[in-house]
Amino acid sequence: MSNFTIKKVLVEEGARKRAFTDEVLSKLPGIPVQHVKGITSATVSDELDMGKDTLHLLSYKGEFLKPCPGTREYICCGYQILNVATNCPINCSYCILQSYFNQPNLRVFANLDEKIDQVLKEIDSKPECIFRVGTGEFTDSLAIDSITCWSDLLIPRFSERKNAVLELKTKTTQIDRLVAGKYRDRIIVSWSLNSPYISAHEEHKAASLKKRLEAARQCQSEGFVLGFHFDPLIPHPHWKDEYLRTIELMDKYIDPKGIIWISLGSLRFMPGLKPIIRRRHPGSCVLDGEFITGLDGKMRYFKPIRIALYRFMRENLEKWHQNLGLYLCMESDDVWQKSLGWSPKNTIGLSSYLDRRVVEIFG
Amino acid sequence: MGIPKITPIKSQLVNPNKIEDFPGPYCMSFGFDIRPLAQSIDRVGLVNCPLLIENKNAELTVIVGYRRIHALKTLGWDRIPCGVLSEFEVSPLECLLLNLYDNLATRKLNEVEKGMVLNRLHSQVPRKEILEVYMPLLELPSNEPTLLFFIKLEQELDTEIKEYLVQKKISLQTAKMLLKMESDERSHVFNFMSSIKFNINQQKQFIDNIIDLAVIENKPTHELLNEPSLKAILVNKHSNNPQKAQAILKLLRGRRFPSLVKAEKAFKKKVSSLDLPKSASIHAPPYFEEPHYRLEVLFREGKELKETINRLTLTEDLDDLGDPWEKDV
Ligand code: SF4
Repeated sequence: MSNFTIKKVLVEEGARKRAFTDEVLSKLPGIPVQHVKGITSATVSDELDMGKDTLHLLSYKGEFLKPCPGTREYICCGYQILNVATNCPINCSYCILQSYFNQPNLRVFANLDEKIDQVLKEIDSKPECIFRVGTGEFTDSLAIDSITCWSDLLIPRFSERKNAVLELKTKTTQIDRLVAGKYRDRIIVSWSLNSPYISAHEEHKAASLKKRLEAARQCQSEGFVLGFHFDPLIPHPHWKDEYLRTIELMDKYIDPKGIIWISLGSLRFMPGLKPIIRRRHPGSCVLDGEFITGLDGKMRYFKPIRIALYRFMRENLEKWHQNLGLYLCMESDDVWQKSLGWSPKNTIGLSSYLDRRVVEIFG
Repeated sequence: MGIPKITPIKSQLVNPNKIEDFPGPYCMSFGFDIRPLAQSIDRVGLVNCPLLIENKNAELTVIVGYRRIHALKTLGWDRIPCGVLSEFEVSPLECLLLNLYDNLATRKLNEVEKGMVLNRLHSQVPRKEILEVYMPLLELPSNEPTLLFFIKLEQELDTEIKEYLVQKKISLQTAKMLLKMESDERSHVFNFMSSIKFNINQQKQFIDNIIDLAVIENKPTHELLNEPSLKAILVNKHSNNPQKAQAILKLLRGRRFPSLVKAEKAFKKKVSSLDLPKSASIHAPPYFEEPHYRLEVLFREGKELKETINRLTLTEDLDDLGDPWEKDV
């Protein structure tokens, strides 16, 4: 069962009388259900808790598969987002979703089962492309999987395709449905990692680092390919020792040969997020760094600070294992060169590099 | 909402001392200069009568015309022609709306007055109606955060800060930043700011840096503002206010962005040590974020440009010019 408490369910008109909705409601006996017409007038900014314990079922009208919203100024990984839900119960202080969506609640799209065929059709129509698809961009992929059962719907469908992989990105230990299933091929289970300090102080309601890595080990021993994401890296007191401790833990639990990629990214956010973090997370240290306005208008650390973070991580991760598929998330060519010692030059270059990793690992 | 027609109301002469002296619950006037109105009345007389409401104890409160009454009192009138309604004829909300529409017909409300309107409406009118009807009327975007901000502005800001806002000595953004602070902290920061007279851009930088430093260094803002380094700038007799403002911002920036400021200094030092031709200059991109530096050459004709380029190629140490932090990373 999910560790995240759902206290209320809102069902929008478009989500009513759907098999998915009935399934979800059957998993939440005794939880009050309210039928609502449509978008409520409440906005994220008036609700300090952002409705993180309210499950809001609706029918999503937009595109389910969308390219990652990268920007021209920095190199993007060319990932495809499968948009299954928005908002997340985990409540990280640095989460950009706090300012990204102007609607509260865990908004889950009840028509995914109907739309998934369309998504797969699109993937099948381009056999020459590799689709790296993930559900963990606008929510945690597994946090409420015991309620939504997304993994039951998605894993078999992606597992049988030769030109796609599905990445489930999480900070939880909700892997029961995954390991109980029989599919492994073309599925990547990924964990977002950070330093022990940041995990404990800024990633409220996420599983501890040790628990995350234990879950990763279990997935690995069950035959899943793993990914890891150090994003956002945050300089904080003793950050070098802190991140080293995480790498040591990885070494203890994980066989590096089964890792498809490890991304490194540093904290970046739209300026509007700052007052929200100050208000929602008064004790947080994530705004302490030296942020400048980046070329895409987002706040990011002054360049040498980013380079120092990446260089340090690269040096120490590569001491552990040479072939980890390290890449930078939303960085410029010169930062790539100065921290990883090479650069894919642009988004096409990085996409090809990651596609090659897919071919190397899954064939 | 029906508003009573006031045309049939007969005017009567009222002793100004009997009218309550404060704006009361219906008037929305803040930060006005009474002199032009007093001069106009003095010349052409009172064109429109104020409207009052009388309660069961015969106390008179202004519904419409607070500024006029104020001007007439200044001019020493001992009888003022006013329309008087009884509290049984008209509800408080109707009084409020009479005042609002009367004001909107003749002038633009300032930000504080808009806050007064919304604050009063929000206890009497459904929120949806405020958003859909009254915010557009006040030329404000119809959304919750804006509504909440204006209500807070009215409820929480001290009169002095409101006056600064109306006089445009602080921007609405600065008021917003001040509102996010606890009241004590706000008055420390505001007092400091008003003593130094930062311009609007400087106000934002100042508040941003002081708030960040208070969090990072875990110190209350008043402790930061009382530090000897800042005090020394404030009492420096050799600099004027704009110089003091610059010096304070520089000091705070150096503390908030130590690596950036260090890099900027190192780059400047390196460039000035290069002995570049006078017509050439080298500039770093904002925050060093873009990878390229910029060389600027001023010239009148090609020959001069060629000479400068030749001199540049001979400039010693140009090879060493690069990211100023390289040895620190
Ligand atoms: S896990 Fe990711 S999506 Fe969820 S709150 Fe944290 S940063 Fe946001």
